[in-house]
Amino acid sequence: MIHFTDVNKWFGPLHVLNSINLHVKQGEVVVVCGPSGSGKSTLIRTINQLEAINNGTLIVDGMDLSDRKTDINKLRAEIGFVFQQFNLYPHLSVINNITLAPIKLRNLSRKDAEEQAMQLLTRVDLAEKRDAYPAQLSGGQQQRVAIARGLAMKPRIMLFDEPTSALDPEMIGEVLAVMQDLAKSGMTMVVVTHEMGFAREVAHQVVFMDAGTILEEAPPADFFCNPQHDRAKQFLNQLLTPMHGALCS
Amino acid sequence: MLSYKFDWSIILTGQYHDWLVSGLKVTLQLSVAGIILSFLLGLVVAVMRMSHLKVFRWSACVFLEFTRNTPLLVQIFFWYFGSYKLLPTVVNEWLNSTSFEFAAGLIALTIYTSAFIAEDIRSGVLSIPKEQMEAAQSSGFSYLRAMQFIILPQAVRITVPPLVNQFLNLAKNSSLAMTIGVMELTYQARQVESYTFKGFEAFTAATLVYLAISIIITFLVDQYNERVLKLHKAA
Ligand SMILES: Nc1ncnc2c1ncn2[C@@H]1O[C@H](COP(=O)(O)OP(=O)(O)O)[C@@H](O)[C@H]1O
Ligand SMILES: [Mg+2]
Repeated sequence: MIHFTDVNKWFGPLHVLNSINLHVKQGEVVVVCGPSGSGKSTLIRTINQLEAINNGTLIVDGMDLSDRKTDINKLRAEIGFVFQQFNLYPHLSVINNITLAPIKLRNLSRKDAEEQAMQLLTRVDLAEKRDAYPAQLSGGQQQRVAIARGLAMKPRIMLFDEPTSALDPEMIGEVLAVMQDLAKSGMTMVVVTHEMGFAREVAHQVVFMDAGTILEEAPPADFFCNPQHDRAKQFLNQLLTPMHGALCS
Repeated sequence: MLSYKFDWSIILTGQYHDWLVSGLKVTLQLSVAGIILSFLLGLVVAVMRMSHLKVFRWSACVFLEFTRNTPLLVQIFFWYFGSYKLLPTVVNEWLNSTSFEFAAGLIALTIYTSAFIAEDIRSGVLSIPKEQMEAAQSSGFSYLRAMQFIILPQAVRITVPPLVNQFLNLAKNSSLAMTIGVMELTYQARQVESYTFKGFEAFTAATLVYLAISIIITFLVDQYNERVLKLHKAA
């Protein structure tokens, strides 16, 4: 579904993605973790071309991103992206946030789009907020609307860039629950997160990045119980000293 | 001057009162038609100014520099006296079939105001966080359609208060159109003065009307800020 082969990217002199090789199969959930500044956001943003790669090949859903003939807008319509800061459209009500793209880009009738949006809102447990504006919602609610907005285009892949990092602790659970549901439904997902409990429960593969390189890629059990690199060990220790044992069992 | 007798009745009823009211109507017509047209033109210029294409950006800049850096009065004279040589015959015929003074005044005011509105809209767009464009593009919107459905609607909402300011400027600037014979409020006040020598009353009335327009509009903007902008502002 997603194939990185020897992908490199620079921001000026900064080698932000260094020979990335990564393959995500259909229906797979991959969690990406690593210290701040290691290139996680850049990596996930190349998948829908919010960032362009400098060389290597990146094939997403059968489309080659370095091929100039690839219709990038069409590709993006197949990929949902959930941001750390939600980025809902503040001038639109919840329901219109969700229906805008299906109506304008998929030519759905308003009625069909709203019906579908209500199903999605029910799925994220926010049906009663259909007419609220983003400013009237809590962070957790906004993020769930953002997930519903992404799903409204019936994407084949969902990308999450630290979806719970901007949330108050008590709201993290509600967002993770929605994501876990989504994973169970067979969605292909790439998730940048520091929620290691989620990684252990849900991920098929955990990817550890450091300084633009993928240092480890392993199923969660191996990653948590038996990290190979010192950097990964350090990272895990800093992150979850108290519950390290719980993650490896 | 000591023998000057105030007579407010002439502006409250009768023929001179009617003159002033008809002047007010023309002022409002100029301002309302002007703000709508200059908003549309300003939107086009703003989009061109932000275009990726050099030709568009460049023409927009030339337009902006010319219109903002020459006196409005000169521009009014230009359209009134000079446009004949510039415009195609059809346009001239249309101008003559309506009121030529009114049309020339409206064109000059529209073009002048649109330059300021274009810059207001542009700073509105620049104030929208770039993440909004990213979110829209992630859903599959092209740059232009993202502008159309997501960025410009937000920018225009932010631009409403400065836009209303431009409307007030327009209402006040429209008094310059009297110089080419547009019978707007100031022109009529001047007429009343020359027929009755009651200049103080006539211009006091005109001043109060301009003031009233400003106060009403300012009040409406405050209401708008309070009710609409608060609800729509980014969370
Ligand atoms: N648009 C950009 N221009 C220049 N440098 C950038 C840009 N975006 C990110 N960087 C830099 O690239 C590095 C990796 O950033 P990022 O992918 O956001 O890391 P992470 O998400 O792992 O924290 C950081 O050093 C960051 O400062
Ligand atoms: Mg990041």
